[in-house]
Parts: sequence; structure tokens; C-alpha cells
Amino acid sequence: MGSIRFEGVGKVFGNARTGFKALDDVSLAIGEKEFVAIVGPSGCGKTTCLRMVAGFEGVSAGKVLVNDRPVVRPGADRAVVFQQFALFPWKTVRQNIEFGLRNKRIGKDQRDHLVAGSLKLMSLESHGDAYPHQLSGGMQQRVAIARAYVLDPDVLLMDEPFGALDAQTRVVMQEELVRLARVNPRTVLFITHAVEEAVYLADRVAIMSRRPGTIKEIIDVKTVRLAERWDGHERIEDVMDLESFVHLRTRIWKSLREEKAEIGH
Amino acid sequence: MRGRKAVVGLCAVGGIIILWFALTSWFGIIPAGRFPTPAQFWVALKQIELRGYAGSTLVDHALHSLRLIVISFLVAVGTGIPLGLLMGWNRRAEALINPVFMLIRPIPPLAWIPLAILWLGLGDAAKVMVIWFAAFVPSVINAHAGVRNIDKSVIEAARMLGTPPLRMAGEVIVPASLPMIFTGLRLSLQASWTTLVAAELVGALVGVGFVLNMAQQDIYPAMILVGMLTVGVLGWATTFVLGLVERRVLSWSLQGRG
Ligand SMILES: Nc1ncnc2c1ncn2[C@@H]1O[C@H](COP(=O)(O)OP(=O)(O)OP(=O)(O)O)[C@@H](O)[C@H]1O
Ligand SMILES: [Mg+2]
Repeated sequence: MGSIRFEGVGKVFGNARTGFKALDDVSLAIGEKEFVAIVGPSGCGKTTCLRMVAGFEGVSAGKVLVNDRPVVRPGADRAVVFQQFALFPWKTVRQNIEFGLRNKRIGKDQRDHLVAGSLKLMSLESHGDAYPHQLSGGMQQRVAIARAYVLDPDVLLMDEPFGALDAQTRVVMQEELVRLARVNPRTVLFITHAVEEAVYLADRVAIMSRRPGTIKEIIDVKTVRLAERWDGHERIEDVMDLESFVHLRTRIWKSLREEKAEIGH
Repeated sequence: MRGRKAVVGLCAVGGIIILWFALTSWFGIIPAGRFPTPAQFWVALKQIELRGYAGSTLVDHALHSLRLIVISFLVAVGTGIPLGLLMGWNRRAEALINPVFMLIRPIPPLAWIPLAILWLGLGDAAKVMVIWFAAFVPSVINAHAGVRNIDKSVIEAARMLGTPPLRMAGEVIVPASLPMIFTGLRLSLQASWTTLVAAELVGALVGVGFVLNMAQQDIYPAMILVGMLTVGVLGWATTFVLGLVERRVLSWSLQGRG
């Protein structure tokens, strides 16, 4: 469970005459338990792609399929982690994480068990009764990830989830996400501006072109990662020093640079 | 910090009382016929409390007004907040109600008094109706704006978590709008007091507004001051209680932290 397919997806915002084309013929297939990152210039339509999978936005052309079925509306099988966390400020950390489980009508005992487990997994045990505003940005994002993960969703959708965090917290969160993905692998669609983050986290990196956005190139990272044993390194900076990592990063970087250079014409 | 604020506040009140003594009793700058001296005020206060004035003692007048305020305020916010929430959440309801609301809104609440008296007579029901109109408006506007200003991603998060409609309303929309709703409640309470006194000036046999009216007819400045200060104290007390409720209910919010 957990495949995502974009089939010739187009998106026009506004009406047919004055509207403008944000996406054109986007095709991308993400397999079960695969981690795919999308990078691309600002405004190319990355968020729009993710929102279509989440069910917040309809398609203007083509199809978006999750588990081979077209997406109709938002649902807990596709959990979203937002850039600005989007926690419920009036609920405690525990209540935030528990909320989706209550909607799924899971019993109290089971809920307590699941929430306790995910608090532990995200190192939030001592903050269960805190309100979001009492937590740092990094902790708030951990709550948001826990809230998504605890639902045991088929796919996880993350839109620049670490974009609002400072550099150090970001690195900690990236390592944590890798650890989480090992304990509990999921299909993940991950959007980022940071090329290094994409290469470090993803199995494949999809590069989008400038408006109207389309998938320009897909880079396989997983094969290199396995071949070069990146997982043997605990720390992110050690991986980032590897020649194979630098090589991939530079390749994606160049591809993105071409996109930016085209603005001049 | 809070202690210091209280001290500053007490000093200000003390200063005004001293100024009052100075301007009236000590130097006679303001003639006694225009504004009462503290001694005259004290006599009037003792008179209304011990022997009664305008038919009742001060406590009875005050309790009557307070009861009217509480009833009208609850009716007003009990109808205004749901209406505002509905308008904020449902486009169709907004399109339907907003034009009517915009038309009725500029009518001053006091302009309803003649109609209220015609419909409901001189009793309390007419006053409740007039206060209801006054207090209703800020509640509607702020609840409406509260829903409108909810962070879109919070709503999307709730939808993504599969929240059913009733729980969406009760656990997401309402709590998310609460800070704005409380702003509306404070304005509604203010409007209630303003209107109450005016409504009691017109047709009443008991209440603080009636005391003011009688005192004016008797040309009794000290009693006018008693009535005015009673309104001030009661208004302050109800605002204080509302503030306590707000601090409790909004304990989760940044604003509620102080
Ligand atoms: N609801 C909307 N109505 C109209 N235009 C929109 C809407 N949402 C997005 N757009 C436009 O569609 C284009 C793609 O937006 P999108 O947010 O998907 O880009 P993005 O790749 O996520 O950008 P960024 O990297 O800056 O987050 C942008 O030009 C944006 O202005
Ligand atoms: Mg975006």
C-alpha cells in the first residue's frame, strides 16, 4: 500500500481565459515505501503537486492516483506535514497527536498506547502536556511529524517541513527522519529547496522545470547510496563529505542552475 | 509587575479623589450646584442605601440593572456568536445574511427603543430587546472575522486528519476563533452597559438608569454622581469577570500567557 502516480497532470489556476498554467504534463510514479524528493525553482508548482495528492487541490488535466485510485478528498491515509507545522495551538502535544486517532474511532487504550509510542519515538516524552507555543520550532515540527506518523498513513506528504527551522535543528531533524524511515518505512513525497537535503533523504530526486512546471529529470540516489554504503555513516556531515554524495549533489545543482539561467531569455 | 500596575492604578484613583476634594470642598472652584462635594456624595450614598431613593435601595437598583445586563448579554452573545460563526464558515449563509446585517447594523441601538416599547411595553422585555441589538453586533462581527482569519493550514490539517463536521466545528473552528470571539464579547459587554442606562432613562421604575433619571428631575447632583459611579463600578466588575473567564479559556494562547 502507498503508491502515488501522476499521469500527465496539468493545473491551471483561475479561469480558462485569464488563468495561468502552473503545471503541464507532470508524470511521476512513486513506488510503495519509496522516498521521493522534488526539487525545483521557486514557483514551479511543487507545492501544487503535493496538494493534489493530499486532496486539497483538483487537477485540470490528467490523473493523480494513490493506490491506483484517483484522489477525491483529503484523508488520513495521506498524512501531510506542513512547513508552518499547522498544529492546533489550543491542544496539548498529546491531544494534537491523538486527534487523528480519535477521528479514526480508535479506542482509548489503544490510543494511549500509540501516542505514548510516538512521543517516545520523537523524544517528546516530557512534553506531552505542553502547548505548542511552549515548544521550540524543532519540537513543534516533531509533534507535526508524530501526528502524521501515528496514523500509520499509506503515504506521507512533506512540504519543506524543515524550511522554517534553523540550520542545526534542521540537521537533527534530517537525521531523525532517516532513523524514522528505517524503523517504519513509508511512501514519502518530500519537497525541498535544499539539494543536499534531497540527496541525503531520498531514494530518488525529481527535478522540476520552471513554469509551467513539469518533471525534467529524475535522479536515482538509492543505487548509489547502497553501493557506496552511505548508511554506514552515522552523521550527516560524514555522508555529505563522500565523493559519491558530492557528485550527485553537483549534478542536481547544475540541472537546477540551467532552469534559473533560462529566466534571462 | 502586576502588583506595580495595581499600585499605579490606586495612586491614580487616589489622585482624582484628592483633586475632587480640592476643586469642590477646599477651594470651591466648582460650585456645589454644578458638582457635588465628597461630603454631599457621601450623604446621598447613605440616603439611597439606608432609606432608598427612586423607590428602592442602591443595592436593589444595581442588582436589577445587573440582572438585565447578564440576561441581555447572554441572549445577545448566544445568538450573535453562532450567527457570526455560521457566516464565517458557510459562504451561502454569508451571502444571505451579510447584506441584511449590513443594513441593520448602522441603526443606533437606541433607535430601537420606540419600537421596543411599542411591541413589549415599558417592562424589562423591551430593554432586553434594545440591549440585545446593541450587544449582538460586535459578537457577530468578531465571530465572523475570527473564522475568516483562521490559519488556512490549520483547517487543512484538520481535514487531512479526517475530522468529521461536528468535531470540526467544536474542536477546530470555535477554538481557533476564540481569541477574536473574546474581543467581541468585551465590546458586547461595553455596548450592553451603554445601552442599558439609556434604555432605563426612557421607561423604568427601578434600575441605575432610573436613579439617574430621577436625580436629574430632582436636580440632585450628588445622587447623579452616585448613579454614575455605580454604573462605573458594575461595568468594571463585569469586565473583570469576563477577563477572568477569558484568561482561563485562552490559557493555551500566547496572549493568554501574561
Ligand atoms: N490557489 C492558487 N491560485 C492561483 N495561483 C496559485 C495558487 N496556488 C499556487 N498558485 C501559483 O502556482 C504557481 C506554483 O505554485 P506552488 O506554490 O506550487 O510553487 P512552489 O514550487 O511550491 O513554490 P515555492 O518553492 O516558492 O514554494 C505559482 O506561480 C503560484 O503563484
Ligand atoms: Mg511551495
